[in-house]
Amino acid sequence: MKCFIILILVLWHQDGTAQHSRNNNKIVPIKGGYYVPLYSLDSQKVYIHDFSMDVYPVTNNDYLEFVKKYPEWRKSRTKSLFADSNYLQHWNNDTTFNKNIKNSPVVNVSWFAAKKYCECEGKRLPSTAEWELAARASKTKIDASKDTLFNQWILNWVSKPNPKVLPNVGSTFRNYFGVYDLHGLVWEWTYDYNSALTTGESRGNSGLDNTLFCGGGSFASKDLNNYASFMRFATRSSLKAKYCVTNVGFRCVK
Amino acid sequence: MLNNFKTLKFIILTSCISLFLYSCGSQKEHETSEVKTVVDSTKITMSNIPDESIFNLQSKWITQHDDSISLIKFANKITVAAMVFTHCQSACPRIVADIQRIENALTSQEKEQVRFLLISMDPERDTPPVFREFSKEHGLNEHWTLISSTMDATVEIANVLGVKVKKLSDGGFDHSNTIYILNKKGVVAYQQNGLEVSPDETLKQIRLLQ
Repeated sequence: MKCFIILILVLWHQDGTAQHSRNNNKIVPIKGGYYVPLYSLDSQKVYIHDFSMDVYPVTNNDYLEFVKKYPEWRKSRTKSLFADSNYLQHWNNDTTFNKNIKNSPVVNVSWFAAKKYCECEGKRLPSTAEWELAARASKTKIDASKDTLFNQWILNWVSKPNPKVLPNVGSTFRNYFGVYDLHGLVWEWTYDYNSALTTGESRGNSGLDNTLFCGGGSFASKDLNNYASFMRFATRSSLKAKYCVTNVGFRCVK
Repeated sequence: MLNNFKTLKFIILTSCISLFLYSCGSQKEHETSEVKTVVDSTKITMSNIPDESIFNLQSKWITQHDDSISLIKFANKITVAAMVFTHCQSACPRIVADIQRIENALTSQEKEQVRFLLISMDPERDTPPVFREFSKEHGLNEHWTLISSTMDATVEIANVLGVKVKKLSDGGFDHSNTIYILNKKGVVAYQQNGLEVSPDETLKQIRLLQ
């Protein structure tokens, strides 16, 4: 009986905290449409339904709320199956980091951690197709993937070294959908980041790990000029789910 | 009697705490298993597996016998595992044949310590009856378990194992062909990459784990 009362108190308390610790990330609707994957052995249009996307990447502060609520994701407790030793390496300890990165995108988080964060927010990680669909919008165009200036802007970012302290979220530009920072701040995890299988196929041998990006010339790409997309696919495919990388963050969708 | 009562109290308390600590995800099961170790500490359970064990995955799986299981069920034996889909035209039968080569090379004594596990990457189609049919076709004995789960659990285990899977529009999958040797605690001890490679090294690794 005592236990039952404690349980009720606990549940009630959790409900209360949930209200306060919800992160500030607004979501905006993204109009669905057709998307042709950059390259695939199976290249064809995929239809993406309407969805909603976080306006900003998840910040250190947002992530702090998460680890406070789910202690199993604190850096001292997270299992090595789910995150490598670089997990939150830029934090001082389980729950503190330099104040100046409070509103910077959280990085050094694994795919598992990002996925769990989104689930706990009642959201999910975007598919690569969804992410790319939202990210092809420039400030003014819903699809700027053929826009030279837009692509050049992205390439300029890609070619710059990472700043020591990542700028705050919202410091790049607001795109057609009202989403910030899809380009120009950090790379972002997607749910199926590793689905671009480019060497061999079911019948082939699978020396996948080492040869994935060496045979670039043979990619069946739809648009070889889109170098920035190549960079994103290359980056994603070089990741493993437990990797925590200094320039990979994430955002969620619904 | 007093001891029993204490244990019971401990179980109740732990259950309450577990409910308190975990609300997202199914960590509850983890806590319950931990309580069991109070009773039996010699066996490998959720409480004494290493951090890098795949048994840390909380997902539920269904077997060819319609049993609902957690991956911890594969503790205490060496597991030879691969991700497959039964509608696969060429590579999967070959990967199954490769595992059978390993199986056939083991002595009957060694076989007692080893289990064979096929994890479906096609949960929509790989149902228990399909598994049973596949087992019959390929002559899989009682040491083999075929399992499938939700798409999300499937993606998760593929990520843990580092299997790259890509669904093709014809309903098939592009995937890496790797056989995983898990030790008794669910940690990947060895990977055999590619099809029709000599199983010698894999056998050596299995014997090292016995």
